[in-house]
Amino acid sequence: MKSTRLRQILIAISTITLITAATSCSSSSTTDVQDSTQDAEDLANPESDTNPVTLTLLAYDSFTPTPNIFDDFTAQTGIKVNIALGGDAGELVTKAALTAGNPEADVLWGVDNTLISRALAAKIFAPYESKNLANLDPAARKLVPNFEVTPVDTGDVCINYDVNWFAQRKIAPPLTLRALTSSNYANLLVVPSPVSSSPGLAFMLATIAEFGEDGWDEYWKALKQNGALVVGDWTEAYYTEFSGSSGKGERPIVVSYGSSPPAEMIFASPRPATAPTAVASLTCFRQVEFAGILRGTKHESEAKLLIDYLTDLKFQEDLPLTLFVYPANVNAKLPDDFVKYSLRPESPLQLDPELISRSLLIWLDEFTNIMLR
Amino acid sequence: MPATLFQQNRGIKLLAVLPTVFVFTFVVMPVGNILFTSLKFESLKILKSETILNVVWFTTWQAIISTIASLVIALPIAAVIANFKFRSQRLIISLISVPFILPSIVVGAAFLQVLPNSFHRTAFALILAHTYFNFGFAARIIGARWLQIHPHLDDAARTLGASPRQVFTSITLKLLGKVILNSALVVFTLCFTSYGVVRILGGPSRSTIETEIYFRAMQLGDVSGALVLSLLQICVISIAFLLISSTRRTNRLQIINTTISRQRLINKTSQKLAISTICLMSIAFALVPILAIFRKSLISNSRLSTNAWREVLSNTRVLNSLITSLGYAVVTILIATTIALLAASSLAYNKNFRFISALTSLPILVSAVSIGLGIIVTFDTQPFNWRGSQMMLPIAHALVALPLAIRAITPVLNDIPDSLRQASSVLGANNWQVWRTIDFKIVRRAIIVAAAISAAVSLGEFGASSFLVRRNSETLPVTISRLLSRPGDILQSQGYALASLLIIFSIIVIFVIDKFSTTESTNSRA
Repeated sequence: MKSTRLRQILIAISTITLITAATSCSSSSTTDVQDSTQDAEDLANPESDTNPVTLTLLAYDSFTPTPNIFDDFTAQTGIKVNIALGGDAGELVTKAALTAGNPEADVLWGVDNTLISRALAAKIFAPYESKNLANLDPAARKLVPNFEVTPVDTGDVCINYDVNWFAQRKIAPPLTLRALTSSNYANLLVVPSPVSSSPGLAFMLATIAEFGEDGWDEYWKALKQNGALVVGDWTEAYYTEFSGSSGKGERPIVVSYGSSPPAEMIFASPRPATAPTAVASLTCFRQVEFAGILRGTKHESEAKLLIDYLTDLKFQEDLPLTLFVYPANVNAKLPDDFVKYSLRPESPLQLDPELISRSLLIWLDEFTNIMLR
Repeated sequence: MPATLFQQNRGIKLLAVLPTVFVFTFVVMPVGNILFTSLKFESLKILKSETILNVVWFTTWQAIISTIASLVIALPIAAVIANFKFRSQRLIISLISVPFILPSIVVGAAFLQVLPNSFHRTAFALILAHTYFNFGFAARIIGARWLQIHPHLDDAARTLGASPRQVFTSITLKLLGKVILNSALVVFTLCFTSYGVVRILGGPSRSTIETEIYFRAMQLGDVSGALVLSLLQICVISIAFLLISSTRRTNRLQIINTTISRQRLINKTSQKLAISTICLMSIAFALVPILAIFRKSLISNSRLSTNAWREVLSNTRVLNSLITSLGYAVVTILIATTIALLAASSLAYNKNFRFISALTSLPILVSAVSIGLGIIVTFDTQPFNWRGSQMMLPIAHALVALPLAIRAITPVLNDIPDSLRQASSVLGANNWQVWRTIDFKIVRRAIIVAAAISAAVSLGEFGASSFLVRRNSETLPVTISRLLSRPGDILQSQGYALASLLIIFSIIVIFVIDKFSTTESTNSRA
C-alpha cells in the first residue's frame, strides 16, 4: 500500500518535525506535568526490558476512580498503570475499530452493551477468561460468551421523578412506561435525545424492549401527543428542565440514572431529610460496561493481570461512589448510603446487543422522524 | 508587481518549509490516509437524503447570520478602539477578547442560564452564542488594522472638502475592506464548523454538518459516511473562500504608520456619550454570561456558599488539570506562533507562496473528526507511533490556532512599504539587519496577538481536532464537562467554580499579553 519511496519521504518529513517538537518541548518545562520521564522513554525506546512495564488503560473522559487506586496493583505486580482519556464510549470504539490489531493502548475500559456488538464485529479485543469471572454478574457475563471482554460494572437508566412535586399535588408518580402517555402526566416529561446522549439512547432502547420493534414507534407518537420534551443531552434534561435537581426546571419527570437519587443525597450540603428524587423501577434499562484487552498489545500477560485487578474487590468497591455504578463483582460491598437511596430493579429491560447493532440506524431515523420533525 | 527586497533573496524560500511540513504531516497526510483506507463510494448516496440537505442548509444560513451579527457588533467597538484614546481603553479591549477564549461547554452552560426557557433549543440561541464567541476577536483584528491607517489620509481628504461620511466610505472602509472580509471569512468558518455550542444550544433537532459527521463516525461507527460529509464541508467552505477572494480588490495605498497615532482624546460631550454607550454595551455583552457562571458557582442548594470554591481549590486532581492545561497552552504558543510567523513571512515576502495561505487554512476547514481519526491511523508504527505522545495535544491545538495566528500577522507584514527596507539596505544593512530593525519592530505587536490567540485556542480546546487525541492527563475543559454532567448539587457547583477559574485564567492571560504588548510598542517608539 505504501511504497518505500513514500515511506522515505515520510521519515524525512517526520524527522524534521520531531526535531522541532523536541526543541519546543525542552524549552518549556511546565508541560511536563507528570509521566514526562516515562513518556520520553516511550519515545526513545518503547520496548526496553530493563524498565518496569507500564500499561496504558484507555478510558472514557468521565473515568474517575479514586486517584491512587492502582498503587496496590503496582505494589503487587511491579506494573505501572497510566490512565489515558479518549472521549466518550462511542469515540473509544470507533478509534479502536480503526486501530484494531495495532492498538493505541493495552486495556480499554468502558464499552457498554449498546456498543459491544460493533466492537466485537471489528475484532478489537483479545479474549481472556479472568480468574474473577465466576464472581461476576451472571446476566452480564452472558452477553459475551466468548470472553472477548469482561463485565466490570452495571447501571440502570430509569425514569426519575421529583418526589415533592407529586407529594404537594397529591398525584401518584408514574410507575411504568405506559403510564407516561396518560393525561395525568401531560407536559411533565423531559428526555435527552437518543441521537446525542447515551442515557437517551438507553431509554429509547428501553421502550423498544418494552413495546417491541413493532409497537415502540406508536408509543413515542403517544408520548409526543402527551407533550414530552426532547432535549440535546442529559445535562440539559436533568439540570435545566427537571424540577427535582438544583436547576429547578419546570418538568418533574426525567430520564436519568438509577443512581441519581443517591448522588442527590451524597452530594448535597446540607443533606436533605428525605431524598428529593426517586426512581420508577419498572422503567429501567440495564447498561453493562466492559473492559477488555486490546488485540495486538505488546503486554498481553500484564494486561490480563490488570483485568483481574479491575474485577477484584478493592477496585470494584471503589466504583459506586466514584463512577455511580454497581460493581459487576457480586461479592463487592456497597456503601450504606448507596444501598439506602438507590433502587436496584429486579428485572430491568434488556435488548440483544446484536439486534441493537443491526437496527440502531433505522431506529434513530425513526425516532428523529417522530419526535424531532 | 515589483519584487520586494527580500524576494530577491534565495533563502527566503526556506521560510515556507516548516509551515508546509507541519500542515502536511499533521493534516494532509493523515486525512489523505483515512480517506484512502476508509472511504467507500457507496457512502456517497447519503448526499441524496433529505436529512443531509436540511443539515447543509441550516449550517450555511446560521453561519452567514452569525457572521453578519458578529461584524455588526464588532465594528462600533473597533472604531472606538482605533480612533480614540481614553483611560480604560486597554481594559475594554482585554475584556471583549475574553469570550473568544472560553470553551464551548462553558459558553453553552452560560447561555442556558441567561436565556429564558423559551429561547432554549432555538436557532436564535445558537446564533447569539456564535456572535458572543466571535465579536471580540473580529473587533480586535479590525481595530488593530484601523489604528494603522495614517491619520494624515483623513486630514488630506477633509482638507479637500470631504465630509466625515465621505472620509469613512472612501478611505476607511476601502482600506478596511480586506481585513473585514478576512475576519468575516474566519468567523464564518468557525461558525460553519462549530460543534460544542450546536450540541448544547441548538437542541436535538438542529444539527450542523460537523455534529452530523461526529454522530455518523462515533455513534454509528460509519466512518465512511462521516468522511463524505467532511468532504462536503470542505467544498462549501472553499466556495465561500472563492466568493470572498473574487470580490477582494488589492490595495496599493501604503498606509503603514508606526509613528503618528490616529487615536484622539475625546473632547465633545456627544462623542463621549456615544463612546460610553458602545463600550458599555460591548462589555455587558461580554460579561453577562460570565457573571451567570460566577453566580452559579457561589450557589449551593439555593443558598450562597463558597464551598464549591474551597473544594475546587483544595482538590489536587482539579488543580493538576489546571496546570496541565496551562502547560499545553505554553507549548501551543511556541509551536503556533513560530510557524505562523514563518508562514506569514513567506506569504508577505514571496508572492509565489500564496498556496501557504490555503494550506494553513486546512486545519479549520477539514472536520476535526477526520483529522483526529487520520492522525490515529497514520502515526501508528514505530518510530512514528506518536499517538500516545504528550506532544500530540498541543500539536492539535497549534493546528487549529495556526490559521488564526497567521491572519493576525500577515496584514501587518504586507503593509510594510518596501521603500523602508530599501532605505535601510542602502544605508548598508544586510537582510537580517533590515528584517530585525524594520519588519520585526513593526510586526512585534501582531506576534503577541497571535500568541494570545494560540493560548486561547489551547485553553478552551474549542472546536479542536484535539478531542480525538488521547489525553495523558485531564485538561480543564474535560474536568469541567465531567463535573457538569454528573448528578449532585455539589459537583455541579464545583463544575461552575472550575469554569469560573478557567474564565479568570483566560482573563489573566489576555491582560498579561496585552500589558506586555503595549510596553513593547512604547519601547520601540522611544
